[in-house]
Amino acid sequence: MCPPDHFEVAYEINPWMHTEVAVDGDLARAQWERLVSALTEAGAVIEWLSPVRGLPDLVFTANAGLVDGHVYVPARFKNPERQPETEHDTAWFLDHQFTVKPLPEGLVLEGAGDALPFAARGRPPVLVAGYRIRSDVRAHAVVSRLLGVAVRSVELVDPRLYHLDLAFCPLDARRALVVWAAFDHYGRKVVADLVPEPIELLPEEAFAFVGNSVVVGDVIIMPTCPVRVGRLLEGAGFSIEVCDVSEFIKAGGACRCLTLALDVRLSLG
Amino acid sequence: MLLKVGFTPARVGVDSWALGLYRLTGQLRSHQFGVAHLGTVDHMVRVNLELEGHLIDSLILPKVLDLLVAAGVEYRLTDVTIGRTATDLSRVLIEMDVPVGVDLDPLLEELQVHGANLCVERDCALAVADTDGVLPSGFYSTTNLQTAVRVDGRWIEVIGPEMDCAVVVSADRQLARTVPMHRIRRGDLVVIGREGVRVDAPDRPRGVSAFEFMGSDVSSEKPQALLVRRVADRLRAVREAGLKVLVVAGPAVIHTGGGEDLARLVADGWVDVLFAGNGFATHDIESNVFGTSLGVSLDAGTQTEGGHSNHLRVINEVRRLGSIAATIDAGYVTKGVMYECIRRGVPFVLAGSVRDDGPLPDTITDVVEAADRMRELVPGVGAALMLASTLHAIATGNLLPASVETFCVDINMAVSTKLSDRGSQQALGIVTDVGLFLRRLAGELL
Repeated sequence: MCPPDHFEVAYEINPWMHTEVAVDGDLARAQWERLVSALTEAGAVIEWLSPVRGLPDLVFTANAGLVDGHVYVPARFKNPERQPETEHDTAWFLDHQFTVKPLPEGLVLEGAGDALPFAARGRPPVLVAGYRIRSDVRAHAVVSRLLGVAVRSVELVDPRLYHLDLAFCPLDARRALVVWAAFDHYGRKVVADLVPEPIELLPEEAFAFVGNSVVVGDVIIMPTCPVRVGRLLEGAGFSIEVCDVSEFIKAGGACRCLTLALDVRLSLG
Repeated sequence: MLLKVGFTPARVGVDSWALGLYRLTGQLRSHQFGVAHLGTVDHMVRVNLELEGHLIDSLILPKVLDLLVAAGVEYRLTDVTIGRTATDLSRVLIEMDVPVGVDLDPLLEELQVHGANLCVERDCALAVADTDGVLPSGFYSTTNLQTAVRVDGRWIEVIGPEMDCAVVVSADRQLARTVPMHRIRRGDLVVIGREGVRVDAPDRPRGVSAFEFMGSDVSSEKPQALLVRRVADRLRAVREAGLKVLVVAGPAVIHTGGGEDLARLVADGWVDVLFAGNGFATHDIESNVFGTSLGVSLDAGTQTEGGHSNHLRVINEVRRLGSIAATIDAGYVTKGVMYECIRRGVPFVLAGSVRDDGPLPDTITDVVEAADRMRELVPGVGAALMLASTLHAIATGNLLPASVETFCVDINMAVSTKLSDRGSQQALGIVTDVGLFLRRLAGELL
């Protein structure tokens, strides 16, 4: 995670961002610290990325890249505003003895924000990867080669759900939160084929960033939790921790976007 | 192939932006990579796309194909490699024919989102021949299919498709033609390797057409009358299309009593070119001078006394007079296939072989020269009838483009099989007695 020292809405690169809407820096800080403690209480161990002035979105570490064991594939950002982040992200991973495998130039892939692993019980892990809005489908093929992981490319069709992690949240070996409306006809079939027990999020729930949640064991840390969804999740044995991150939603990100899982193992065998 | 692996094009769910693809207007940018004007169909352009990735599990391939269908584009999958394991990538080459004048950019941009990129096409490599009759190493060896080569960014249709030849590009780089090895001249620009070479597989006719009802290409189990009628229909169609009919005839045509019917077909203008050997012409003349073929009476079917030397006497007379044409002028030959050919000016090539008696003065004993003479007569041929001939049929098959409809009539099924195995896969075999076949064919056409 990266402290929100320099977080603000300084540009508009998604439909949620409006530079005229000011971020309350103190509130943002408080919300972020509340998220940190919820994650820690759930059992997560957190590593820190130093904030950088002029890179307000560095706080959204989910987009730093893809992690597989000790291999790190740096993101290639679509928008020039975020491209300078990669240098800082890569430096952190090099400092922490990761092997860096860059994507070829000319392809964009916005890290774990657009690529989340789902491992159905008894089946090898599959990297579900979104494309069209922020990532190139051709980058998926490269990731598959680089990491030796099976990839399912799904097209994202709603600009408001511009990253996969706003529309798809793997929960365990059977379940995931899924916003069907975020995918095209084919993507829906792909996800339905992959996830044995999808828990549907309605569009209005998706637009409240319910899908942008972090799972630590059987705890789900959510920016908000509609009663309907809460009942379903608790019925499935999860406990729910709500962390309001409204200041960050002003920039189009919530709990999940503020974290990057480092304990990810994608490769087969 | 697509349907076999269980995908069906979506009838719904092609998102609304795809609808925009219906409104394709403007001018095609022909400078675009991968866009080639088709020589044969000049109102269409051909575009090659490459699609790579997790195409099957991610349903990208059906999505892309659905987009093409929605855009009204004709396409073919020219190469399909499906990944074996979950991490293997699949790769598909898609060839589309798009009407000239259609603005492809919106479609191409949309396809690019899904990972389909225009194949970057490269010019063919050329090397200069440094010795007469010898090709540069690595020369491209031709098939009998319609072929095009890319020179200076432009696709050029290769003139005279013929198998086992090289492709030579003219010095001004405007034309390309097949050239057999022995005709290569020092300084010729020869195509090297496979890059920048495009081979168009012929579309098998679909629906109710010539031999669609035949499950196999060789048939001994089909109603002969029907087969003959179909051949007759095809010959009529070829003639109506302004193309030529080539007959390749073996001596068995005469032995089985088919000479008279073949002569009638020549006389009536159904044969435009004749390829045969020394034996065919000899027995044709023998049968018309002596009434025998290799000494056997064609009327009685019995060996005539001293008949085994009839064909030698015929050859001797032709040699005395100087040519087959001279025997006609002298009144020695008054009917028959060769007679009708000469009378009507039908060009023929008699190609010699090592076992020939005589040979006739008209027989070309230099096989390379004979093949060249045959080659000169191939352009414009639309149909070939191979009649009870093995060696000449195969030799002719080697010279013919795959687009020439080829019928191989022989009592022995192996001849047609052999013709196919040697690369003339367009050949359709009819297993029957050639004399009976010709009788029926003449009955259909005359």
